[in-house]
Amino acid sequence: MSGAMDSFDAIVVGSGAAATFAAVGLRGRRVLMLDVGFDASRDSDLRGNLYDLKQTHDDLFEPLIGRQFESLHNLHQPPISLKLKSPFMSYIARDARRLTPVAGDPFGGVVSLARGGLANAWGAGVFRYTDRDLAGFPITAADLAASFDEVTARMGVSGVNGDDLEPYFERDDRLQPPIRLSSIFDDMLRRYERAKPNFRKARVAIGRSRLAVLTQPRHGRAAYEYENLEFFRPHDPGIYTPAYTVSELIASGAIEYRSGRLVLRYAERNGTVEVEARNLDSGEMETWRGGTLCLGAGALNTTRIVLASNADYDTRLPLLDNPMACIPLLDLTRIGSALQTRDTSLAQLNVVAEDEDGRLAQGSLYGTTGPLRSDFLFELPLSARGNRVWAKYVAPATAFLMLFYARDPDAWSGVQLRPSGDLDVRLAPEPPHALEHVLIGLFRRIGFLSHRAMIQRPVMGSALHFAGTLPMSAQPLRYQTDRDGRLAGTSRVHVVDGACLPRLPAKNATLTIMANALRIGRRLATTLA
Amino acid sequence: MLSCRTLGPPRHPADIPVTEDLAAEARFLHAALFARAVDPAIVERYVDAHRLLFTGEPTSPLVSRIVERRLDAEAIEYALRRRKAGRELTRKLQILCYLAEARAAYQPEFFNRKERPSQAILALVAAALRSAWKLVKGEALVRRHGLL
Repeated sequence: MSGAMDSFDAIVVGSGAAATFAAVGLRGRRVLMLDVGFDASRDSDLRGNLYDLKQTHDDLFEPLIGRQFESLHNLHQPPISLKLKSPFMSYIARDARRLTPVAGDPFGGVVSLARGGLANAWGAGVFRYTDRDLAGFPITAADLAASFDEVTARMGVSGVNGDDLEPYFERDDRLQPPIRLSSIFDDMLRRYERAKPNFRKARVAIGRSRLAVLTQPRHGRAAYEYENLEFFRPHDPGIYTPAYTVSELIASGAIEYRSGRLVLRYAERNGTVEVEARNLDSGEMETWRGGTLCLGAGALNTTRIVLASNADYDTRLPLLDNPMACIPLLDLTRIGSALQTRDTSLAQLNVVAEDEDGRLAQGSLYGTTGPLRSDFLFELPLSARGNRVWAKYVAPATAFLMLFYARDPDAWSGVQLRPSGDLDVRLAPEPPHALEHVLIGLFRRIGFLSHRAMIQRPVMGSALHFAGTLPMSAQPLRYQTDRDGRLAGTSRVHVVDGACLPRLPAKNATLTIMANALRIGRRLATTLA
Repeated sequence: MLSCRTLGPPRHPADIPVTEDLAAEARFLHAALFARAVDPAIVERYVDAHRLLFTGEPTSPLVSRIVERRLDAEAIEYALRRRKAGRELTRKLQILCYLAEARAAYQPEFFNRKERPSQAILALVAAALRSAWKLVKGEALVRRHGLL
């Protein structure tokens, strides 16, 4: 075992949304970031519009399918998100199953060891948790407010104030203009405005998405260009990823960044924390010392590190992920319309629906120009050639409502470390919600057809919103954390990622995780001073 | 970066019969999917994809029988897919679709770039009728050739 004798004020594990903003909060202290840090290949600089490229280049095999046939991943391996399997994006999930194995059946999740983490492929939707969302947390929206502002200012967020989703998103006076709507969603929004009383009666609202996507240049990053390459090109300058902030932190000397390090465990000794990591290049074990430790490796890997540090192969910790339902919506009047080449696969509209018990569900509306047609050709109802005709003429008339439900801890779902090093993951399936029927009826009223039989329910874990394993509590018990993410039974170990969220509202948690990590980082920086 | 390349290591002579079988399979299945001459790059990549991704997997008796007997692969795949069976046949057809979608010459097979509502409706009606016929034919072929 080789030792790195330097001692740091703080060690941050990981480089995803949480770790990055914890490091931002710790600015001014001597901070070490330990990360596996796989990055995109230098060959991955795909320029232009996807559909222009398809016409002007005889062959797009390398960027679309890949020399190692990366895009065929889901035909011979456990399926992963379509965004993670294309050749230039596949680094995001590279080697994760080998280095940090997760077992579970059925389990649709994956973790990332890339610099910037899974947020390299996120939908960029930003949602602030409100006091309603934070019920049961030992912190309030007021505790997070300044951090929310700082994170959104750093990322740049586009959207609108004043529409029907403002009460849900909350007002933000620094928004850039929203992204341009595709014509199908422009139509949908206009028809919604006309039928609003019906929606209101059913407690359903539709509005523009809030996205960490630039519509105007900012901080040296270019505005988003509608090139339809979100599934194929990493590091679109218009779409925020924590990898940008990590690069800034490195360049400014705010952190020492060591990549190729897989953190395995920690121990508190003599007033410091010792962190054991495997150097993936040399294969040697290294020990790093710090005054405090911020675990931000993503909920599953943070949990793995905590359980391994306690050599605990018996305890099953709770686990959360947002259940999903995908509802296709068909506008018959658009069948046969031309492919929109300057479009986006980002969410364009959001839907918020409240059920009779007052529980919220949130949905994002997507078009069909992002993935390859071959990704879904054999999910369609006709024979192979018939499906090609369907995809050609009906896809431009189709929108997908990706619906997310809230999740509270349950007795069945959980995660346990096996002596082999595998994480054993269980997530209870979600039964169909009555809301889906309500939504289908409302969309039918505005000319978008669907049917319950067409709803797809991705395997649990597919949302990749893992959380709740080491939940924050006002009076933390073993494997719980206090309001500053400090793990019970430790004095210097802090959990800054989704692991410390005690419940998951029906909102993507990424912005809240970033803001909470920033808040914790700031408080630690003050303490360390 | 956007050029067409030969993939993988040079082929061992012992691989050649397998390669020829796979190439014949690619040509046969391509004809079930597309009413056009097969692009040689697709055949080559189909073979490479099998060598790279599916090494060690046993050859599919279902697909071999369909190719040997020159059966209607589209009809059989549809009938089996409706019964949630024949996964390996669906997978092979899907591989061909992926490989075709990356080629400029095949773009009109997947995308419509002009406003064509009437043509679209006619094409969809024809596709639905054809699919119904393929389903009937596929069911009959599955039964007659014991493909389940």
